[in-house]
Amino acid sequence: MGRALSLRKDVAETPPFQRILIANRGEIAIRIIRACHEMGMEAIAVHSDADAAGAHVRLADRAVRIGPAAPAESYLNFGAILDAARATGAEAIHPGYGFLAERAAFARAVVEAGMVFVGPPAQAIDALGDKLHARRIAKSVGVAAVPGTLEPAALDRPDQVEAILAEAEAIGFPLLVKAAAGGGGRGMRRVATAAELPAALVSGSHEAASAFGDGAVYLEREISPARHIEVQLLGDAGGRIIALGERDCSLQRRHQKLVEEAPAPGLTTAERRQLHELATRVATAAGLTNAATAEFLRSPDGAFHFLEVNTRLQVEHGVTELVTGVDIVREQFLLAAGRPLSAAALDAAQRAAEPAGHAIEVRLSAEDPARDFAPAPGRVTRWIMPAGPGVRVDTAIQAGDRVPPEYDNLIAKVMVHASDRGAAIDRLRRALDEVEVAGIQTTLPFHRAVARSASFRDGDLSTGWVGEHWAGPTSFAQAAEIAQLAAGLAALGEGPPTRSAGMGLGDRAAAAPDMDDAWFRAGLEAAQDRWPR
Amino acid sequence: MAAVTDGRVPGRSRITGHDEIADPRGIRVTLVPGAAAGPAAAELPAIVVAPADAPGTVLVDGRPRAVSLTTLGTERAVLVHADDPGHRTAVTLLPVAAPGGPGHGIARREVIVDGWRFEVDLEPAARAALRARARRGREELGESGPTEVRAIIPGVVVSVAVTAGDAVSAGQQLLVVEAMKMQNELRAPRDGSIERVAVASGAKIEVGDLLLVLV
Repeated sequence: MGRALSLRKDVAETPPFQRILIANRGEIAIRIIRACHEMGMEAIAVHSDADAAGAHVRLADRAVRIGPAAPAESYLNFGAILDAARATGAEAIHPGYGFLAERAAFARAVVEAGMVFVGPPAQAIDALGDKLHARRIAKSVGVAAVPGTLEPAALDRPDQVEAILAEAEAIGFPLLVKAAAGGGGRGMRRVATAAELPAALVSGSHEAASAFGDGAVYLEREISPARHIEVQLLGDAGGRIIALGERDCSLQRRHQKLVEEAPAPGLTTAERRQLHELATRVATAAGLTNAATAEFLRSPDGAFHFLEVNTRLQVEHGVTELVTGVDIVREQFLLAAGRPLSAAALDAAQRAAEPAGHAIEVRLSAEDPARDFAPAPGRVTRWIMPAGPGVRVDTAIQAGDRVPPEYDNLIAKVMVHASDRGAAIDRLRRALDEVEVAGIQTTLPFHRAVARSASFRDGDLSTGWVGEHWAGPTSFAQAAEIAQLAAGLAALGEGPPTRSAGMGLGDRAAAAPDMDDAWFRAGLEAAQDRWPR
Repeated sequence: MAAVTDGRVPGRSRITGHDEIADPRGIRVTLVPGAAAGPAAAELPAIVVAPADAPGTVLVDGRPRAVSLTTLGTERAVLVHADDPGHRTAVTLLPVAAPGGPGHGIARREVIVDGWRFEVDLEPAARAALRARARRGREELGESGPTEVRAIIPGVVVSVAVTAGDAVSAGQQLLVVEAMKMQNELRAPRDGSIERVAVASGAKIEVGDLLLVLV
């Protein structure tokens, strides 16, 4: 069906494409399918065996199985995804975030297959995906990166050990060993003294090689306390690049973000302008188009240090959408079709340094915040999400769904939007009080504590915040006592469970014959069901 | 009837004097018919919750505490702290299949308090008394038996740092499990030596799978 012959009468503008394949799963696949449907485009989902009944499959117009549960055989499988796109006649592929979003080889393969990759061009992904290369680009246009080295550490040259140690001394301890191809903290090592450096270089390189197939590592000063602030960028094929304002993502654990907000609190208009200008300068030098994010660390003296550019749609893009009113995924499709930046986006960029309103997102994850955010996959038996004024929830979960262990543990993004930061925090507290999840442990207790924290309200943010302010085990123990009291009181009201009648503590003789198989099995299973000790 | 809660730190498994693991499962409440403060209940190393004469009050360790539970429908309730006016805690109590099936006297509830999730076992007093006796017996033996270390999360074993015969100290890394894109280190729960390693690097594991045996 040609564009001019479109029979759809409910869409005013001509859609940039007719049919989009979404190479992702979960909430981000749904976010993109929604944009497709709003723009009058057909959405093709792909799914692994673990997601055959996934919400993104149900919402899409068509769905194609691409392989078994393991990501390497499904969502990372170039061939299967391109075959699905060809078979369904998709004109463009949106990769979402994670999986293939920042694989230059995939972006290239999509283009070679005659389709459009919805994201920055392959050469920009290549140039910015290597963090060392990105640092050199920043330096070439006069943007200060986090102090550190610009070339990979020569681990295969024993004669270079002295040179590396000298560089480390010049950077200053504590420092970080980081993977050039890195992300998510993999291959990263914190080094407090020169004596620890050689071992950290070797183990960091080893981890990077197994995680990314590239063992190149470099040194970077540890900025502490630091705030993590990033700039949302959009660029069109004409070479115009704009900043849609910034986000503060300082609340992290193990270099994974937990809470994000826009705008970053406490910056002056001049500081915002300066930051946005630094970000667009790096992006211009890298030849970026479509959507990307430039990340910076802000040291206590107020200086911004360039960290890296993520050449994809970010998990936390929603808070920028709430504050600017710009639909970033919609913009991505228009830009991918070669259209210029929209009037709405240009207008939002004009106002980016003087933002009105405030948005906060918390990432609800299937993790146990009392056990250092350890994964807690399982089946969700109850799922109540907040609603009401100024609340947006992006999720793929419904009651009865299983959170599979094979994939990311993000289960919902709860976002709030209000006139200012204080009102947004009030709204966040109210929204999180409405959340109820059963069947799995989630990060909800942590997020409720954040929404009630005086330090968070004061804008006292840093990447060390979680370690300094979150007392998970204490909160857990207090709740456990209430759980015991409540369960006991409820049982008092209900009467005894079936077999306890007549079995007082004195009735040991009567109890002995009850040590039958059922008791024995139950005891054994209860013991096996516990954590290892 | 009164409720007796397990006397250990709620929800925590004590691991041979070293760090404790917060355990949301296996929290027990023992139901005792009649007055709980009798001599038999005193043998249990437990917090005793018993009905008191005054309405809206229960005895916790023999002392009256003004807490009561207001049920809202079948699954929701509010714990009212009458001694702290206005202090209420919303609680969700959901039935869960009892371990080992019905008929042996244990009822299990999933209890949700402020986003935290627990599995609470309500068990008859006689069973609790036996368990307490068994625990005392174990303590007398000095807990020298083998410890089976089992998987607490499903995932893939990415590395195994020990082999059979290795001496390990508490806290030492034993193996690394990758789940949900994260690498999770499993550490020795106590000093000992490795009797057997049941998994190899690359193995896919489910919750409860035997990983290794520590003696």
